[in-house]
Amino acid sequence: MPLWLREHSWYQTPTAVFLSLPLRGARATLANIFCSERYLKVSIPPFLFEAILYAPIDDTNSTAKIGNGNIFFTLYKKEPAVWDSLTLENADKEELQYLRENAVLKAQQKAKEETEAKKATKEEHKKYALEATMKLEEAERKRIEDLKEKERQKITEELELWKSQQKDADKYKSIQKEGELLQEIGQLKEGENEKMTKTRIPNEGTSKTRPKPTKGCHGSCSIFSPNVKEEQLPAPRSAATIKVNFTPRVFPTALRESRVAEEEEWLHKQAEARRTISADLSELQDLKEEEKNPDWLKDKGNKMFAMGNYLAAVNAYNLAVRLNNKLPLLYLNRAACHLKLRNLHKAIEDSSKALELLTPPVPDNEHARVKAYVRRGTAFCQLELYTEGLQDYEAALKIDPKNKYIEKDAEKIRHLIQGTMQGS
Amino acid sequence: MSAAPGLERPQVVSHAQQALNYTLFDCKWVPRSARLLCLGSAARGTGLVQLYELRGARLELLREIEKPKPIKCGTFGATSLQQRYLATGDFDGNLNIWNLEAPEIPVYSVKGHKEIINSIDGVGGLGIGEGAPEIVTGSRDGTVKVWDPRQKDTPVANMEPAQGESKRDCWTVAFGNAYNQEERVICAGYDNGDIKLFDLKTMSLRWETNIKNGVCSVEFDRKDINMNKLVATSLEGKFHVFDMRTQHPTKGFASVSEKAQKSTIWQVRHLPQNRDIFMTSGGSGSLHLWKYEYPAQRSKKDSEGAEMGVAGSVSLLQNVTLSTQPISSLDWSPDKKGLCVCGAFDQTVRVLIVTKLNKI
Repeated sequence: MPLWLREHSWYQTPTAVFLSLPLRGARATLANIFCSERYLKVSIPPFLFEAILYAPIDDTNSTAKIGNGNIFFTLYKKEPAVWDSLTLENADKEELQYLRENAVLKAQQKAKEETEAKKATKEEHKKYALEATMKLEEAERKRIEDLKEKERQKITEELELWKSQQKDADKYKSIQKEGELLQEIGQLKEGENEKMTKTRIPNEGTSKTRPKPTKGCHGSCSIFSPNVKEEQLPAPRSAATIKVNFTPRVFPTALRESRVAEEEEWLHKQAEARRTISADLSELQDLKEEEKNPDWLKDKGNKMFAMGNYLAAVNAYNLAVRLNNKLPLLYLNRAACHLKLRNLHKAIEDSSKALELLTPPVPDNEHARVKAYVRRGTAFCQLELYTEGLQDYEAALKIDPKNKYIEKDAEKIRHLIQGTMQGS
Repeated sequence: MSAAPGLERPQVVSHAQQALNYTLFDCKWVPRSARLLCLGSAARGTGLVQLYELRGARLELLREIEKPKPIKCGTFGATSLQQRYLATGDFDGNLNIWNLEAPEIPVYSVKGHKEIINSIDGVGGLGIGEGAPEIVTGSRDGTVKVWDPRQKDTPVANMEPAQGESKRDCWTVAFGNAYNQEERVICAGYDNGDIKLFDLKTMSLRWETNIKNGVCSVEFDRKDINMNKLVATSLEGKFHVFDMRTQHPTKGFASVSEKAQKSTIWQVRHLPQNRDIFMTSGGSGSLHLWKYEYPAQRSKKDSEGAEMGVAGSVSLLQNVTLSTQPISSLDWSPDKKGLCVCGAFDQTVRVLIVTKLNKI
């Protein structure tokens, strides 16, 4: 239950009311003061002071000073008048209550309005600041642009100046030349015989032997002096050859540091493949030495293929594979044979095996990979598995986009697929 | 290097550009003029030479010459200032020298190589240096040949693979060390990373090394002085600067290398007016401007007392991206400092100006 603070003292002037409240040792801050137009409340636990003012005051301009154990209020009256007393004496409870509530509401409203006003001003300030920075940046940018433009213009002017200098120099030279041309034609008529004997190593029939002012004439010299000048130049070098050795490189493509690792891997694989020779020598004992060499067998197989003897080619490749199952070209060529023999499943198997062995994909085995994809694609198409076939053709196109045959075939397959889809 | 504020560094300003309707392989300034040449290959498989003049901020086409075979590279290096004949190498291995005023018949023509001539360089002309004018061509057939325009049909020097040796593409060639009438050196870069230095006075291989990536472009900082520096650019964004003043008997030349960008560095070109500044052009369409700083001591003795070179350092002055396609050719104007032309595979030729080079 708060204690009412009764001991207050006040005095007034026509425009203001001065109120003093003793604090009795309690600490006060502005938060404990609630003031509206007609209502003043000071609550400092355990004390409470409340006053319904006689007349409205201007609460925004009124002040409260806290110090010396007192709160000193300076309340500015809204209407200058003399108050009979500080508070409204003959107010009944309800009116008092109403006034209190009103005051509170009013205060709240005011607070709200204040915050909104603050927000609005804040926004305005922000906008202003933003615009100001933008203007500054624009100005900076413009300044730099202007500097650049000036430079550019300066340079253009210098260029023009230099060019006109050139033109003048050229004009001057050509005038000079014309003057000497007349001289030379005079001299030429005298010295024509001399000139013939002096002509040097014939030079692809240039106009040096014709009495025209060639570009070889310079300034004040006559046709004779180019010859003289040339004799001052050393004779052409005696021909010689220097033999050159290159740092060895297996791949025909240019050397790139980032690709070196991949290329090494591929080479390594190739080398290993050549070295593996599968066992099972018992059967092969009666074969001649050369027939045990997978490369020789591969060549043999290629020859048979060229002649059209596909079965023999397959045999050769089979034996080669038995000897060394890591050479992708064997599988590749065998796949071609199977295609011709219409052993389509075998063709697919062999092309797949070849592709497996042709990793990692380097530019070196591009051709082989394209061939493998094309052969597998053909086999699929002949089996009427057109979608798989198309996939392989597109893989081939990816590696070698410029190949027209592959493109044409891929188009054909696409049409076929669309045709069957529409038909079914 | 001090962190200079952005506008104090050299700026690369785009001055003019021209869209072309053919593939551009090489672009060169015509010496002593504001004209430039574009060499390339038209869609129908013929070669094109276009002569442009820089007028204000535009390029105006003065002349167009069509030849049967696409042209890959060209140089004015071996011609006199009065003649200004253009030497070109084409896709068929033909070396031709043209008088641009009368381009129907070449002044000199030879089928020098069996395959495309990738790179060409000339020395002894343009009033620079002494000695006979010579042209060197490097080709995909693995040979590097030196030609004298006064000698028909046979090269005066031929650097070819030894018997039985498989060939590697020669991608780039450059002349150097031509400080008097006898001395001359050729540097050739190959696709397997080899760089070889041939001495033409002794007709022998003077030095070779391998930089682990195909060599796209080599250039000496000056052709007509005692060889000072050599820059070699390669695939995968790396370039090496070799200090050529001191050759160690086993270790060769000292070098510093820099990885500039992720893509191939197609060209390097030194500024004619300052031999320590060079520009590299990349496969990502960017240009980088570099400055080489010499070390305190250019050579030192190694443990056995032999002289060994010390490489300096390279710092990036500026970089700019102009295109999405590789910039395959680059040429500084020998007459105006900072003026350069570059051609890219997006069929555009651009004239650029690099500013503030005086302040470096």
